[in-house]
Amino acid sequence: MIRIALKMLFGDRAKYVMLISGITFATLLMAQGMSLFCGLMTWTFSTLRNVSAPVWVADPMVEQVGDNLPLRDTDTDRVRSVEGVAWAVPLYQGNLQARLADGTSKLVTLVGLDAATLIGAPADLLAGRIDDLRMPNTVILDEYGVERFSAGRERPIGVGDVFEINDREARIVAICRVHRSFTGGPYVFTTYDRATQYAPNVRKMLSYVLASPRDGVSAEVLARRITGETGLRAFTESELMWSTIWWYIRNTGIPINVGTIVIIGFIIGAAISGQTFYSFVLENTRHFAALRAMGASSGELSAMLLVQALVVGFIGFGVGLGAVAFLGTNLLRLGRVPFLMLWQVPAIVAGAVMLIVMISAALGINRIARLEPAIVFR
Amino acid sequence: MSNLFRRFSFYLALAGLLFAGRLVIQLAAEPPPSPPPHPPAVNPYARAIAAAGLVEAQGENIALGVPAPGVVTGVLVSAWESVKAGQPLLLLDDRELRAQLVSQRAAVDVAEATLERLRGQLARLEQVTDERAIPREEVATRRSDVRVAEAQLAAARAGVEQTELLLDRLVVRAPVDATVLQVNTRPGEYAAPGAANPPLLLGDLTKLQVRADVDEQIAPRVRPGMRATGYLKGASERPIELEFVRIEPFVVPKKSLTGGSAERVDTRVLQIIYRFPPLEEGSVYVGQQIDLYLED
Repeated sequence: MIRIALKMLFGDRAKYVMLISGITFATLLMAQGMSLFCGLMTWTFSTLRNVSAPVWVADPMVEQVGDNLPLRDTDTDRVRSVEGVAWAVPLYQGNLQARLADGTSKLVTLVGLDAATLIGAPADLLAGRIDDLRMPNTVILDEYGVERFSAGRERPIGVGDVFEINDREARIVAICRVHRSFTGGPYVFTTYDRATQYAPNVRKMLSYVLASPRDGVSAEVLARRITGETGLRAFTESELMWSTIWWYIRNTGIPINVGTIVIIGFIIGAAISGQTFYSFVLENTRHFAALRAMGASSGELSAMLLVQALVVGFIGFGVGLGAVAFLGTNLLRLGRVPFLMLWQVPAIVAGAVMLIVMISAALGINRIARLEPAIVFR
Repeated sequence: MSNLFRRFSFYLALAGLLFAGRLVIQLAAEPPPSPPPHPPAVNPYARAIAAAGLVEAQGENIALGVPAPGVVTGVLVSAWESVKAGQPLLLLDDRELRAQLVSQRAAVDVAEATLERLRGQLARLEQVTDERAIPREEVATRRSDVRVAEAQLAAARAGVEQTELLLDRLVVRAPVDATVLQVNTRPGEYAAPGAANPPLLLGDLTKLQVRADVDEQIAPRVRPGMRATGYLKGASERPIELEFVRIEPFVVPKKSLTGGSAERVDTRVLQIIYRFPPLEEGSVYVGQQIDLYLED
């Protein structure tokens, strides 16, 4: 029975390609849209990924990692005084203009790390040494910054080269690889004390206090305790990540735009494949009627249709997902393109494809169920 | 034919799935969080109050002042030099007083000569025994002239002495036994009383102490005699047990390290003094920052 169903499906190659391409197209649109969304969302909390710490303490009004509502310097010691804190260090984060030797200025995200420990320093260094950050007027630039700052230069900017932030010299001692930021500014790492000198002088400079729990204390428990005792707002890394993501979902049009792409993908996929499948069923009505005349029950005919629909769904989904993966790999190679395919993306798309396939099959089954064997003679 | 096509599409789909699966795994692989480049100082107590401290000499650092404004003509000590109480440290320009001294010394000579002359005259008059030859008043007047001249000589000598004392004042001396921590002036520079940057900084380095700032919001938890462990900046692997000295009775505005003129005070801090145990030479310096944990 199933062999007959498959034969019927592969019999008409044009129709088969049409069926597959509907699903492929739907998969492509949905998976690409979702991967773009996930990629964009990971950009929003790049600082969090680049500067890793179990607990982040900020002003009570901070909702996302890019917020800059500074604390007072002594708040580091207040956090250290909370029971269960193993260590706590200050962190500066701000967007500043960097001025290059040729006079152009570029936006950068300046991150100031605790000078004594350099906690949060990028782990993946392409050149230079992290400890050179202890020398005066030194910074670490990210790979993306090298690309942006090198425009118009004879050779790319590198270790030992100099640019300016707020009229102060910034000498590059290392090049790192980090996740790029949502605002598009390259990351520049330096020490906390130096960052406060680079940044325009305001009363308070401390963006975050990074803390770590003692052995045996979970980050969640510690975050709640810090919030309770100091009146500041403490996040665990994942809490701050989700807080940031939700902030962007609430406050930007990204989810609506991407959601539209995904829904359009679903509708187009459903429409094309539903229609094609239905016309495929119509075209093969005679065969089904013949089978019915030979004594096949409705259930068996439905099973045939279901198998046909599932095969179409599987092949279409596989080809579509492969195309997205191919596209994504090449986009990522280009850089600067948000693309992240989490396992949830194929799972959700598979669910949607399944739905499309089932709807199509249901339409066909509905047609076949009312089939009279006599139709074969018409 | 149909079979071949079927196979091809099936394998294409399978390849697509595998490729996507590989990409998903590849993208999901986050590098594990890297350990801090340098281990941070970990709170050694179960419950503790953290404070930021600054190392200073015992009995605080002495920002030496000059008694009068003037150009520095000599710096007699250098950093790290141990000085005894009363040892000259700085010389200020004293030419004006010296010039004054020249004329004042001359005035002493004049007064001496005048006195000598008057005394001689008086002596000669007194040698005359005949009272009729010299009137009584004459002798009395001469005597009083001698006394006036004596007083004038004393005044001239006092003037010289005063100028000499004033000259001595322009030699700035060490008030106590101490070590020179910083020399901020060079010969030729101008020094004035009350300048923000003292010309010399002295301190008693035989014992060092820490001035720890505790945020006023956690200050109520502070008790006298709390045990404390300090970690110098950048030396988190070397805890230093500190000895409680006292709590300063006055809560002061927090000194910010930026030192900008537009700074506004937003916190006041309770200061606690801790003493260092005997340490090996050169392991701690005055002015270093130190993170303290006070056992709660």
